Amino acid sequence: MDDALPIRARAVTKTYGTQTVLQPTDFGVAAGEVRALVGSNGAGKSTLMKILAGAIVPDAGEVRVGGASAPLGKPIEMLRRGVACIYQHSNLLPEMSVLDNLYLGHFAARRFGWLDRRRQREQAQALLARHRVELDLDGPVGNLPTVKQKQIEILKALALDARVLLMDEPTGWLSVADVARLHETIRGLRASGVAIVYTSHILDDVFAVCDTVTVMRDGQVVADAPISALTRERLIELMVGDTIARQVEAVAQRPAPAAPQDAPRLRVTGLCRQGVFRHVGFDLHAGEILCITGLVGAKRTEVLQAIFGCDRFDAGAVELDGRRVAFKSPREAIAHGVGLVTEDRHREGLLLNLPVAENLILATLRRYCRGPLLQGARVREAALRWIAALNLRPPEPAMLVQALSGGNQQKVLLGKWLDLRPRVLMLDEPTVGVDVGAKAEIYAALRAERSRGMAILVVSSDLEEVMAIADRIVVMAEGRVVRTCAAHDTSIPQLVRDFGAVVPA
Amino acid sequence: MNVHTLSGRQRALPRANWRTVAVPLAAVMAIALFAWHQPAFLGAENLIGILRQVAIVGIMATAMTFVIMTGGIDLSIGPVLALSGLVAVLSLDAGVGLPLALAIALGLGLAIGLLNGSLIAFGQLPPIIVTLAMLSIVRGSALLLGGPDLHAVRGQLAFSFIGTGSLVGLPFSVCLFAAVVALFVFAQRRTPLGLLVAAIGDNERATWLSGHRTRLVTTLIYGLSGLSAALAGLVLSSQVHTGSATYGEFGTELDVIAAVVLGGTQLVGGRGSVVRTVVGVLCLGALNNAMNILDVPIDLQLIAKGLIIAVALGLGQLRS
Repeated sequence: MDDALPIRARAVTKTYGTQTVLQPTDFGVAAGEVRALVGSNGAGKSTLMKILAGAIVPDAGEVRVGGASAPLGKPIEMLRRGVACIYQHSNLLPEMSVLDNLYLGHFAARRFGWLDRRRQREQAQALLARHRVELDLDGPVGNLPTVKQKQIEILKALALDARVLLMDEPTGWLSVADVARLHETIRGLRASGVAIVYTSHILDDVFAVCDTVTVMRDGQVVADAPISALTRERLIELMVGDTIARQVEAVAQRPAPAAPQDAPRLRVTGLCRQGVFRHVGFDLHAGEILCITGLVGAKRTEVLQAIFGCDRFDAGAVELDGRRVAFKSPREAIAHGVGLVTEDRHREGLLLNLPVAENLILATLRRYCRGPLLQGARVREAALRWIAALNLRPPEPAMLVQALSGGNQQKVLLGKWLDLRPRVLMLDEPTVGVDVGAKAEIYAALRAERSRGMAILVVSSDLEEVMAIADRIVVMAEGRVVRTCAAHDTSIPQLVRDFGAVVPA
Repeated sequence: MNVHTLSGRQRALPRANWRTVAVPLAAVMAIALFAWHQPAFLGAENLIGILRQVAIVGIMATAMTFVIMTGGIDLSIGPVLALSGLVAVLSLDAGVGLPLALAIALGLGLAIGLLNGSLIAFGQLPPIIVTLAMLSIVRGSALLLGGPDLHAVRGQLAFSFIGTGSLVGLPFSVCLFAAVVALFVFAQRRTPLGLLVAAIGDNERATWLSGHRTRLVTTLIYGLSGLSAALAGLVLSSQVHTGSATYGEFGTELDVIAAVVLGGTQLVGGRGSVVRTVVGVLCLGALNNAMNILDVPIDLQLIAKGLIIAVALGLGQLRS
């Protein structure tokens, strides 16, 4: 790559603790180029973006802006060199006017630090005219629709004469018409020679507006190509990885399950939440593992949370054993025998500074009480039972969960919900950041519970995992169910094609 | 795997031990040094005197331990203490019977605490702001009710017993303190409440997702803090035979919070122990007493106390 590119990263690396999130990576964008940066969660793309924006310091490597080496980890220095970043979440101040927001951080100053309001206003109007954006400079930003706010963020960058624009999921909250408008703005910028990096999970956007694409997986760049050289399927394959090679093995060990003939234990029909998911429906039978898969952003977690009562749904029905339920809190769901193993075990799952035993009985605390008393001996006994059943290492009920490895932490979280002996157990990405051994043990535990008649619903993006444990599979894309099928009737390439299914509006 | 087990233990245990013994050890060393210098310090009379002095702060610090363990704070206890004593004294003055007067005072403290708690838990407002606002409101209300004057209690022997009487050779106020401690230690070690307090402090969302009524528990914890402040107020007013809107005005919250923190309870919530709070209370009490015996002027006492708290906190922080 050419060193004189507007922005260029060379061999940048980042490691957190023992986990390398970014292998030595090269990356660059030319003037007048819109480059997509794609990859699944944890692929390292946001780390790379943050390094480019100066938000984090890489462990090694350098970033060059316009051919000159730039200081690392200093957002202001990057801005000064014309590199601006537009984050997914707005960085505007909602109470302040459009004008103030545009010039926040680089005031047009006169002597003695007075603001030159008149010059600011003239510059802003010229900017609006040049980019053909209509805005009331004096209105507060908070009252404007999201797409206008995105435009203000872009103008704010342009007011600084940005030569490089880093955009992180810019269309996340926009309607279809607004996305088109934003893309129009981006094409205008490209024509004026701005270099743009565009990260998105929405492949339609990538194909609509980008010229080139960099695909990342497991902290490395795995492909770098003009967008015209790739099909949608090929792009998704590149993102999800070489699972194809291993798929035969994964499918081979699946026996065809007995067709469920009894009434479903959990039936979800027409579940909607405005702007999030629409008409989601599936049946879950006793003694079955149903996997919901799809790309990040398919709103699978939101569906689980709506069922569990920690989030809401606007329309549709959830039936448990034929009786309609609408849980208003996790407490209610748990009382009905429904459990949820949350995705983020640190933020939503575990009490890291408390012992293993207390974590294991947290969802079933009342069973260990007699009157007002907590029966410590029975808690310990139950903890030891789960420690043995799940092969927790070290087998120490008094150990703080914080000191356990990721795999063992996840087993504690699973044990907490298994202790409920739930009728329906939902698991959200149950093996993220878990080593292979613990993964196998978690799968074994789930299969054992299935054979004992538990109804298990797993959300997973890991196709190998899906093929390894699922009896039936639901594929979601953009908040909709695009396909439901038996696991032995499908293959990973087929699922990959479903991932990118274009959902009719 | 064995290596893993061992290293895990080696890392976990000494740290916990150090935290547990640091404050008591420092206190014992200071006391030994001081007792060698001033033998009167270790006399039974002086030791009981220390207990009597710390009972009021101790009652509040015991309840405050739970509040701080949930990651919160209660700054309104000083004014609640004053209001409680004042209301009891004025009620007795107006001819209200003793049980009812006490019930009114305690009920008022409980209600203020529950109001704090529900604003924090259900209104999702920051504890420091809510209780700071309550501090001002309650102090203002107390002043409105009693003005700046002292209101003396006359001829109320039963009321005076609370602060000045004695039971089995111990001051009754010390017995009350011991009873409150026993209740909280029991709750912490033997009831689900103790676990939930720690769980909420460690990860409120995870606790809620595990089916617990975290907001209700939080509200209750602030209620208990208000109740403890009201009880402390009754002890104080009984001890000095007066009620006043201005009691507890001078750094009461600081003394209480300092005792809790000195006991190793973390301000961010999660870890904490009522027993160790009691140790913190006794250390501060012994320190105050020692400085009084040495005739250290009050200004220097305050500065010394602040320094000791800062150093203790700093050491705890270093270790964690």
